[in-house]
Amino acid sequence: MGKSLLSLTGINKYYDKNHILKDVSFEVIDGEFLTFLGPSGCGKTTLLRCIAGLEEIDSGDILLKGQSIKGLSPNKRNVNTVFQNYSLFPHLNVYDNIAYGPRVKKSMAGDELKTKITDMLELVQMSGYEERMPNQLSGGEKQRIAIARALINEPDILLLDEPLGALDLKLRKHMQRELAHLQEKTGTTFIYVTHDQDEALNMSHRIAVIEKGRIQQLGSPREIYNNPRNLFVASFIGDRNIRKVKILEGGEGFAKVELGSNIIDIRCVHEAQHPCKSGDTAILAIHTDKMQVSCHEMPNSIKGIVTSIHFAGSQTRIDVDVDGEDMIVIEYLKNECECKVGDPVYLVWEETGAVLLPLEDSEDPRGFEEGDAV
Amino acid sequence: MKTLRRNMLAIPIIVWIGLLVGTPLIFVFVLSFLSRDNLGNIVVAFTLDNYKRIFDPIYIRVFFNSFLLATLTGLVTLLIGYPVAYITSGLNPKRRAVSIALIMLPFWLSSLLRTYGWIILLGNTGIINNILVGLNIIEKPLNMMYKFGTTLVGTAYMLIPFMIIAIFNSVDKLDRSYLEASYDLGAGRLKTFFNITIPLTLPGIFGGFTLVFIPALGLFFISDLLGGGKTIFLGNLINTQVTKGRNRPLGAAFSILMIVLVLVVLFIYSRAAKREEGGLFQ
Repeated sequence: MGKSLLSLTGINKYYDKNHILKDVSFEVIDGEFLTFLGPSGCGKTTLLRCIAGLEEIDSGDILLKGQSIKGLSPNKRNVNTVFQNYSLFPHLNVYDNIAYGPRVKKSMAGDELKTKITDMLELVQMSGYEERMPNQLSGGEKQRIAIARALINEPDILLLDEPLGALDLKLRKHMQRELAHLQEKTGTTFIYVTHDQDEALNMSHRIAVIEKGRIQQLGSPREIYNNPRNLFVASFIGDRNIRKVKILEGGEGFAKVELGSNIIDIRCVHEAQHPCKSGDTAILAIHTDKMQVSCHEMPNSIKGIVTSIHFAGSQTRIDVDVDGEDMIVIEYLKNECECKVGDPVYLVWEETGAVLLPLEDSEDPRGFEEGDAV
Repeated sequence: MKTLRRNMLAIPIIVWIGLLVGTPLIFVFVLSFLSRDNLGNIVVAFTLDNYKRIFDPIYIRVFFNSFLLATLTGLVTLLIGYPVAYITSGLNPKRRAVSIALIMLPFWLSSLLRTYGWIILLGNTGIINNILVGLNIIEKPLNMMYKFGTTLVGTAYMLIPFMIIAIFNSVDKLDRSYLEASYDLGAGRLKTFFNITIPLTLPGIFGGFTLVFIPALGLFFISDLLGGGKTIFLGNLINTQVTKGRNRPLGAAFSILMIVLVLVVLFIYSRAAKREEGGLFQ
C-alpha cells in the first residue's frame, strides 16, 4: 500500500431535501485504480463530481495531497475528468481540444505543446488525428481523445465517469484492457465510476461499492467478490442463491445452520462485527457457480429435486427445488451426475463460495424476499 | 408521383403565398422597368432609367446611412440581447416563462404607439428632461430628439426581441457539460464564456443579427418620428418616392434593390450558419 493521495472525511451532500451522500469517508492511495461501483442513482457520480469540484459538498472535507480543496472551483483543482458523453468541444479539432487545458492555463506553448500533444496522441493510439473534428470520430475514438485531453494536464487524479457506457460490448471489453494498461503506464491515480460489476472487477485495484449514498464496502475485487460484507454487496456482485437461515450453533469462523430441512456447516464472515449467535436468523449467500449437483448423498449438502435444466453452451443452469423454493446451480464442467428433471439431488459447494451475512441492516436493491434466488 | 402525393396538402398554402406574396412582387419587379408621365401616372414603356438613377451619389449616401443604421442596430441589440438571453436561459422554468413573456410583451402593442412612447420619454418636455430639470441637474433640457442616435435607439428597441429569442434558442440548447469540461480543464468563467459559450452560440448570434439587420434596413416610420426625417434611409426614400414623389417606378426599383441586399445578407448568413452547423434555417 502506497501513501494516501486523496482523503475524504464525512462528506454529506443534499439536493433539496434528498440526502445524496451520507457521511462518506475514505482514502485514495497514490497510483491506484479505484472504482465506485453501484446501481444508478446511488450517488457514485455525485461523489465523483464533488471531487472534481463540479458539485459543492454540504459538510466534510476533501484533502488532496494533504491540502483541503473544499470550496475550490474545478479549474483550481489538479484533477481532470473524462465525462460520460466525452464533451469534446465540437467547434475545435482534436489538436485544439487537447491543447485547451495547457492553453487556458498558459502552462505550455509552442513547440513544447506540440510535442506533448504528439506524445499524448501516441499514448492513446490516435496519432495523425490532429486535424479531425469531434463529429468525424467514432465513440471509441472520442473516448481516447477525451482521455488525452485530460491527461495532458498531468492531473494528480483522473476521474472517469462511466466512460465506456456508450460503447458496444466488444469495444467496451477492448477499452477496459486499454484503460487498465494506460493507468499502469502513466502511473496516474484513476477514480472510475461504473454500474457494471464486470468492468469494476476487471480493471480495479480496489472497488468501493456504493448504495444509497453510503460506501457499503471498500476492498480489492477479490475481497468484494468472495467476502461481501452485507446483503447488498452479496446480491449486487456475482450471482448468488440467497436464503434466510437459522443459526443452530455459532463458532469461530464457523456456524451450523438450518436451511429448511437441511442442517449444514458454513464458514461465518465478519465475526468481529456480527458475531454468529445461536438462535439468530442470518442470510446465507452461495455463489451459483460455486455449487455442484451430486446424485449421491454427500456430507454437508442440501437435498433437493431437479426442476429444470437449461443448457447454454459453456455453462448449464440447473434449477433445484429445495423445500419448495428454487436454488440455481450454474455448472461450467460436465458433471458426472447425469441428473434429469425430477431426480433427487444433493447440492454441495466450495467452501469459499458460501457466506453467512447478518440480517440486520441488510438492504437488497431488488427487494429481498425470503427464498429469493438472486 | 409519391412525393407529389405526400406534398399535396401543401398546395393550398403554396397557392395562397403565391397569390399574396408572388403577385405583388412580380408587379413591383415589372413596375421598376416602366416610366411615368408628369402627373405621376404610369406609362407602359420599358426603360432602365430607374436603375441608372439609383446610383446617383445622393442615393449612395442613403444606402450608406441605411447600412450603418442596420449594422449598428445589430450590434446594439447583440450587446444588450446576449446577456438578457443568457440570463433568461439560466432561470428556473417559472421565472424563465415570465422573462420570455416580458420580452415578447411589446409585440402586442402597436409599433407606432411604442415609437411615440420614446418621444414622450426623450422629448424636450419629455419625462427624462422634466426630471433632470426638476432636480436642477441641468438648466436647459437636453436635446435628445431628431438625431441619428435617436433613430438607432428606436430601431434597436423595436427589433431587440428577435435578437433575444434567436440567441436564447442557441444558449438554451448549449450542452452545459461543455462548460463543465472547460472549467475542469482549468478555464475560469470568463475564459469559458469567450472560448466555449460564444463560439457554440454563434448560430444564434448570426441568426439574431440577420433577423434584426433585414427589417432595420427597411423601417421608415421610426426615422420619420424619432429622427425628424433629417437622415434619410432606404425605407424613407421608397416611402417618399411612392407617395409624395409620385414616382412609383423609381420606388419600385429601390424596393428591388433592397430585396437584392437582403438576399445577399441571407446568403452570407446561410454560409456562416452552415459552417457552424446549426441555425435558423435548419
